[in-house]
Amino acid sequence: MKPAPFAYAAPTTEDEVLDLLAEHGDEGKVIAGGQSLLPMLSMRLARPSVLIDLNGVAGLAGITEFDGGVAFGATTRERAAERSALVGDRLPVLAEALPLIGHEAIRNRGTIGGSIAHADASAELPAVAAVTDAQLVLRSRAGGERVLSAAEFFQGHYTTALADDELLTEVRIPGSPPGAGWAFTEVARRHGDFALVGVAAMVVLDDAGSVEAARLCLMGVADVPLRLPAVEASLAGQPVSADTVAAAATDAVAGLELASDVHGSGDFRRHLAEVTVRRALTTAADRAGAPA
Amino acid sequence: MTSPLTSTDISLRVNGEERSATADVRTTLADFLREGLGLTGTHLGCEHGVCGACTVLLDGAAVRSCLLLAVQARGAEVTTVEGLAEGDRLHPVQQAFHDSHAFQCGFCTPGFVMTTVALLAEEPTPSRERIRECLSGNVCRCTGYQSIVDGVALAASRDAG
Amino acid sequence: MTEVGARAVGASVRRVEDPRILTGRGRYLDDVVLPGMLHAAFLRSYAPHGRLLSVDVAEALELPGVVAVYTGADMQRLTEPGKPGVIAGMDQMPGMALPASYGLAVDKVRHVGDPIALVVAESRYLAEDALELIEVDIEPLEAVVSYADALDPAKPPLFEEVGSNLAFQMELPLGDVDGAFARADRVLTATISVHRHHPNPMETRGIVASWDSAAQKLTLHASTQSPHMLRLLLPPQIGVPMEQIRVLAADVGGGFGLKNSVFREDVAVAAAAKDLGRPVKWVEDRLEHLATGGHAREEKADVELAVTDDGRIIGARLDLVLNVGAYLADPFPGSTMAMAAVMFFQGPMKLEALGAKATSVFSNKATYVSYRGPWATGDFLRERSLDIVARELGLDPVEVRRRNYVVRDESPLAMLTGTPYLGVTTRECLEEAVRLLDVPAFRERQEAARAEGRYLGLGLAAYLEGAPPPKTNGERQADIVGDETTYLAVDERGRVVITTRQQPHGQGHQTTLAQVAADELGVRFTDIDVLWGDTDITPVALIGTGGSRAATMANGSVLHGSRALKAKVLALAAELLEADAGDLELADSTVSVRGTPGIALPLAELARIVATEPERLPDGVDADLRITEVFDGGEGGWSGGVHACVVEVDVETGLVAFERYVVVEDCGLPVNPAIVEGQIRGGVAQAVGAVLLEHAAYDEDGQFVAASFLDYLMPTSTLVPDIEVHHVQTVLNDPDVNFRGVGEGGMIVAPAAITSAIEDALAPFGAQVREQHLPPSRILELVGTVPVR
Repeated sequence: MKPAPFAYAAPTTEDEVLDLLAEHGDEGKVIAGGQSLLPMLSMRLARPSVLIDLNGVAGLAGITEFDGGVAFGATTRERAAERSALVGDRLPVLAEALPLIGHEAIRNRGTIGGSIAHADASAELPAVAAVTDAQLVLRSRAGGERVLSAAEFFQGHYTTALADDELLTEVRIPGSPPGAGWAFTEVARRHGDFALVGVAAMVVLDDAGSVEAARLCLMGVADVPLRLPAVEASLAGQPVSADTVAAAATDAVAGLELASDVHGSGDFRRHLAEVTVRRALTTAADRAGAPA
Repeated sequence: MTSPLTSTDISLRVNGEERSATADVRTTLADFLREGLGLTGTHLGCEHGVCGACTVLLDGAAVRSCLLLAVQARGAEVTTVEGLAEGDRLHPVQQAFHDSHAFQCGFCTPGFVMTTVALLAEEPTPSRERIRECLSGNVCRCTGYQSIVDGVALAASRDAG
Repeated sequence: MTEVGARAVGASVRRVEDPRILTGRGRYLDDVVLPGMLHAAFLRSYAPHGRLLSVDVAEALELPGVVAVYTGADMQRLTEPGKPGVIAGMDQMPGMALPASYGLAVDKVRHVGDPIALVVAESRYLAEDALELIEVDIEPLEAVVSYADALDPAKPPLFEEVGSNLAFQMELPLGDVDGAFARADRVLTATISVHRHHPNPMETRGIVASWDSAAQKLTLHASTQSPHMLRLLLPPQIGVPMEQIRVLAADVGGGFGLKNSVFREDVAVAAAAKDLGRPVKWVEDRLEHLATGGHAREEKADVELAVTDDGRIIGARLDLVLNVGAYLADPFPGSTMAMAAVMFFQGPMKLEALGAKATSVFSNKATYVSYRGPWATGDFLRERSLDIVARELGLDPVEVRRRNYVVRDESPLAMLTGTPYLGVTTRECLEEAVRLLDVPAFRERQEAARAEGRYLGLGLAAYLEGAPPPKTNGERQADIVGDETTYLAVDERGRVVITTRQQPHGQGHQTTLAQVAADELGVRFTDIDVLWGDTDITPVALIGTGGSRAATMANGSVLHGSRALKAKVLALAAELLEADAGDLELADSTVSVRGTPGIALPLAELARIVATEPERLPDGVDADLRITEVFDGGEGGWSGGVHACVVEVDVETGLVAFERYVVVEDCGLPVNPAIVEGQIRGGVAQAVGAVLLEHAAYDEDGQFVAASFLDYLMPTSTLVPDIEVHHVQTVLNDPDVNFRGVGEGGMIVAPAAITSAIEDALAPFGAQVREQHLPPSRILELVGTVPVR
């Protein structure tokens, strides 16, 4: 279980990274925290010719305020975000999701940008990016800079809009709408495991206590983090009640086509998804101030 | 422009000493410590980042050395289980594990010790529940964990005292 | 935490092993580095079943750094096929198929992971590079996966020479079975199953083989529970006589029964090292280990119970099938565990008759190995049966157990097999567990919780663990492992040296054997060295450490050997001190004369005189301070007890959490309580894994689908609860040796206790738990919210 041979580059500036990407294209592979990539290298499931290490690149890590939200340099460690007061303040859904990623030793290396660029649809951060309508900053030598929404960015299992010569440099997560209640809920067989299913939810209530706006994103049930605009829209204007929430949960999983795996059947996963949507929406509504 | 390497000199500080060896860039930090530097206290239990046996401290933070390339640790400060005791005097975490009959076969032990050292550096008095949460990234097949949790709690209580 | 006090036995003395292990100076297999050492990697079959048409290694051989590549054809040239079980006499058992095999696949592959080729290279990295350059052509054959597949004569046999996929079959009638069923008030039936899971020690398998052509000696460093086993089993296969083989094993990172086998990989690596004349290291990686390291426990049984209306099981019929996989473990083929399982069905139950049929079948799966209490499926069948009776008759499971478990010194005094129930305290342990959990109060709490939509359950189960079991009419039954030999000596420094055939791999024998010797000899604990793990110096043994034998056998051997050694020391000291040996005592490593304070002869001084001043010894005196102690286990006896737990099931997610876990057990006198309790807790943790997480699953085509630690889930610290251990010590069977084994008990009984608790929690849903594996997906099927897969 040892990696196949590759060449290794340790650029120190973003320009150098972009040059290397331009030169090596799909033969090159960027490594940030490496917590998903190293197992794939060791199992020889990933076989890049050139590994381009971002860890020595100046200025690529950092947590800053951004237009009411927070911007993360791509190589910001998950553990740094977890400890960030700004994150705790502005991005409750991210703060709740971060401790669920693997274990501390993983989060000490794993990065915000790495997890999002890796685009595992069972992972927490892509779901957070999707539910928060995060903006992803992509740069390349040829194309300069472009900014994509999470919806544009995630395209399939481990597949994103990133071109071969492109680098994800920054993740911008907008601030929370006023009064929003957030929840990140998942079901894992053991603490720290990839979740069987997970749900990120947001609820904003109007003055009458009905839902003014809602967001839902499911992870582990599709090849991308799955936003459910129709269910979100149907919640708007509804009073918060157990029935409303249960109906939304039923709607949320109605169209899912889920495969069976070693952990259980597709029916099992759909059931868990429904339970988890219900639990996440209930928590989010509580946090938005809905009467218990 | 940086030209990619296939093999290189790797210099880093390990357990307070400057160490250097040549290695393939594909060499994991775990293999480099074990084979390149002869520090076999760091064990490989799964090589895919799940079992935690290979946990070391990288610039003070617990990391899995099977999930790092050695070349990525150039210039870093690495602490392994060999670097904790002072002569015959066990590190307080090692002593507390000893006093608690914390482990059996001992293969996973270095990873638990390093995880605990990192935990207590940051949180000197964790609750039993917090200890269990923090240790949940390390797999032990022998003990059922209770004795290890006891060891961590004992180390914490002594530091606190 | 305990310092060694006046008596070492009975105290949780801190382990001598710990400092080296805690500081990273333990020496496990992968830590062995020899000059000129090469590294091996196996190419393994991706196909479950197929004809191996060709293996082309030409390109791999050309890769720089590759030294050699071996295939099945090379193994035919260099080795003889291994005949599993022969050394343990298994070929004498009727109904037993023992197909032989080479270290590498020759003409067929028989499971995913079957080794096809062995690359030897300058590094493991290069060896793995070469694996990718080997071209293999396999013509697929229909895979034999399930019990039904294996029993279907239309499916291809794995081993043509066997002619079918039947590996073993026997029938075991004990007592008047038909009579018991005729007297029964009702007959209950069930099909109960246990899923494939495995020991999975944190240190995988591995071996370093080194051939010294000058000395004509093969040295094997092994991660094994039984160094001598390699030396006993390898010679006919690799053509090196036993006397030219030395096996070394230092620290071993867990075994749980797995490492009581000699593996095909061992044969291939040893043959390669001899062929090359250079040391070769093979360390199995986790992916190899999960797929091929050795699986266990795939059994199902049709159970028929003859039950009386007062809740007694008076008779039973079992029809048990065990899926043994492809290649048989050597020297203990997994197929024999079918017999062990049905024989242990009775356990501490007042059964009057048992009619059992045990069948083992070959399939395209990995080798079935012994795993901590390899007969445990028998216990699981019994305890599930008792719960079935309870539910059928509307009785509390505790009450059913009261009526069925034997009572000490009351009839029956022996099992149906004739083995006495000597010192069995199951009922005492049951009552203590019931008291600790306050079962009546729990039932009230359970009722109240259900009203709130919370589902609590209480489960309990009992077991017996013979380590070794008591003698039957003065003879130990079916003991193929034999007596326990220990060498004890006072060396030239005056240190006591104990050389054991045990091969500790977590049990702390370096500490516990010294505790026993310290007390018996009157020698300071720190003046005792325990040596193990070197076949050049240790007593021969087919099994080193296994079968929960060390507590009775090794401690007993050390106890009696220490007494004999002490007598020798005192006799010699009597000559030197010109005193009567009867007036001497040995304490604190010093011989003194009772009532005469001024005279003292430290053991170190005695040893120095023997070594350097022999002229001071009177003529004809026996100054050879060495003992060979052979211990037959004395009266032996059962360990046993009851495990009881309370769980809460989240019926929406299927997740199970433990509220409380209580063990009440009787292992006689624990030499080191912390070590005993560690053994018990570790077994319970493995059971938590077995029930809730671990499944070595194959799909219906025979592909292995639990091939990484993301699919084969090990229990972790947030799932395994604190486990309360309470000791009951009621009966001394043997006048001297009342240390009884505990290695297996936790893993034998806990799966039954946990499943019992889950079934109890799910009673409002009418759930009938008939299997051991209850992951969330299965729990939701039992609850009825997810369709059965």
